[in-house]
Amino acid sequence: MPSLGTGVQFVSFFILSALIIGASLGVVLAPNMLYAAFLLGFTFICLSGIYLLLNADFVAAAQILIYVGAVNVLILFAIMLVNRQAPETPVPLKKIRDGIGGIVCFGLFSLIATTVVRTPWPYSTEAPVTNTTLKIGEQFFTNYLLPFEVSSVLLLMALVGAIMLARREFVPDQTVTGDEPLVLPERSREDLEPALKKLPVSTASEE
Amino acid sequence: MEVLSTADLIESLNLGLLAPEYIVTGTLIILLLVDLIWGRPVANKLPWIGLLGLGLASLALIPIWSVSNTDSFLGAFTGDPLGLLFRGIILISAAVTILMSERYIYQSGTAPAEFFVILLTATLGGMLLSGSSEMVMIFVALETLSIASYLLSGYTKLDVRSNEAALKYLLLGAASSAIFLYGMSLLYGLSGGETKLTEIAPKIATMGFPSILALVLVIAGISFKLAAVPFHQWTPDVYQGAPTPVVGFLSVGSKAAGFALAIRFMTSAFPDFATQWHTIFAVLGILSMILGNVVAIAQTSMKRMLAYSSIAQAGYVMIGLAIGTPDGYASMIYYMLIYLFMNMGAFLGVVLFGLKTGTDEISAYAGLYQKDPFLTLCLSLCLFSLAGFPPLAGFFGKLYLFWAGIQAGAYTLVFVGLVTSVASIYYYVRVVKLMVVKEPSEVVQKYTPTDWTLPGMRSLQIGLVFTLVNTVALGLASPILNFTKDSIQNTPILTTAPLAKAEKNAP
Repeated sequence: MPSLGTGVQFVSFFILSALIIGASLGVVLAPNMLYAAFLLGFTFICLSGIYLLLNADFVAAAQILIYVGAVNVLILFAIMLVNRQAPETPVPLKKIRDGIGGIVCFGLFSLIATTVVRTPWPYSTEAPVTNTTLKIGEQFFTNYLLPFEVSSVLLLMALVGAIMLARREFVPDQTVTGDEPLVLPERSREDLEPALKKLPVSTASEE
Repeated sequence: MEVLSTADLIESLNLGLLAPEYIVTGTLIILLLVDLIWGRPVANKLPWIGLLGLGLASLALIPIWSVSNTDSFLGAFTGDPLGLLFRGIILISAAVTILMSERYIYQSGTAPAEFFVILLTATLGGMLLSGSSEMVMIFVALETLSIASYLLSGYTKLDVRSNEAALKYLLLGAASSAIFLYGMSLLYGLSGGETKLTEIAPKIATMGFPSILALVLVIAGISFKLAAVPFHQWTPDVYQGAPTPVVGFLSVGSKAAGFALAIRFMTSAFPDFATQWHTIFAVLGILSMILGNVVAIAQTSMKRMLAYSSIAQAGYVMIGLAIGTPDGYASMIYYMLIYLFMNMGAFLGVVLFGLKTGTDEISAYAGLYQKDPFLTLCLSLCLFSLAGFPPLAGFFGKLYLFWAGIQAGAYTLVFVGLVTSVASIYYYVRVVKLMVVKEPSEVVQKYTPTDWTLPGMRSLQIGLVFTLVNTVALGLASPILNFTKDSIQNTPILTTAPLAKAEKNAP
């Protein structure tokens, strides 16, 4: 990857940082959820710019593909499907709460900022890698082989869990004894059987 | 790095150390395939497949005990005796969870295969976490355990409280993961790009304040898994809302993995900051013991009471971590093993009672002795053991923990432990008294004798007897304590790391 001049890198770093800070503040403060979601996508794109400056071209591409292309689109879908205009309920002592929250955040920020500025960070003297994809692949199959393999089990389980959560299940209106259905998960199954028989065949066979 | 030939690479991976994990992974894939091919008709066989897999995995732990080269996967995983015992504890807790969930799943009408698959994945995550010695691996293992736990807590998805539990657990868990990750990223930067815990230690030794910040952030992340006060807010709601067998696993398996991670992370990455992390864990332990025991007194729901009791129990175990002596670590493992049986036994009793009556209110247990003496006996012995009555196992567990504390000079910690244990007797014995002395409650009056031949009941019975026998017998078996001491002596990170003397007095 052809490297940019130091001056250009410096300037682009500051522009990107300002954009990220502005956009992420917008994500938190925007009253409309849709704006917040789009600003989140913008933040992700700017972050991939930072990765490019760090010579991590593969990570930058992955950032755009996964975070902007998948995660953010998913968030937008979720907003679209829910589509609820919930009126904001007034919170008691909102100003004091916001004030305390702000002070805590500012304290944490200054703590981390002082740490970052004061620490004598060790710098790497190694030459930048030209082919990052090769290096990542090499690391995946040597030093990080076990986490790489375990994450496949993690993904498999996440898939099973997602299907489990999304699968349609019937909710019986009322139980035999007349109480609210499923107040406790321990409720005996015999109560469900009459409700099962009344259901259309297609739904019952799913279970 | 130099390029290795394939044969050398495979040799250097030292694959055999993870044999139990391969068996667990294989079992969960077999479970998925069996359910996919044969479906409902074989649903009652699934728990036994799971138990068989867990049993084989436990057997596979034995040959690893005497292996001399404990580095596996180029340092990502360490198969030392310390991790081995914790992996064993997690395996047993998963097995007991399967025993108590079979009937529960049947009655709640949820799908069994997915439950066991997610439970086994959580087990796998916990086992890997007990042995991980490299930060990327630690994070992947931690997330495997956490995401599986979120899914399990929301498993009865038609129940509103289960949904609430899962969402709360997910949001707070994600926040704590982020804090943990930030701490690890600081360590990565401070050490100049190292991810292995043992290689981080020498590079951050002279860094001073930034390393302490990283230490605090890492401890905050781990304490969430341990449910130590003040990172415990999720515990009562999740324990009350989640399906009861899952709560059993969370309170034992997940906690054991957290303690294994805490011991390994602290002793290998922060040996030069031992005074600091001893102090932090002493404070966390004292807070957990006090808050857990005090709030448990006021609870009216059995599951909620056991939630606060588990916070307090984690506080006792933290004494061992806060003193940081070999005896302290040994008594931690010993207590976790005992806690596994007595807590699981209590949850088995709660599951059985909940399945038959549909409630977990403490007042509903009144007069249970007249209708079901066996269940009353199991619950009473487990609660007595949790309270620390001799000659039950819980007494000996606490005895060794407090003894290790006194030997290390941590008098404040032991004093708080003793006082809060005495206070805890009140709320444990209150339940026992209610069951034995009081007249039967309305719920208990309708109680019918248990039919052990119903589907899934047999495994519940096996689980109750198994935990009961261990709760009674384990305290009298002193070889087990020597066994945990051996494991600490044979664990390199605990013997080479400078074991600083304990904090004399916690602030």
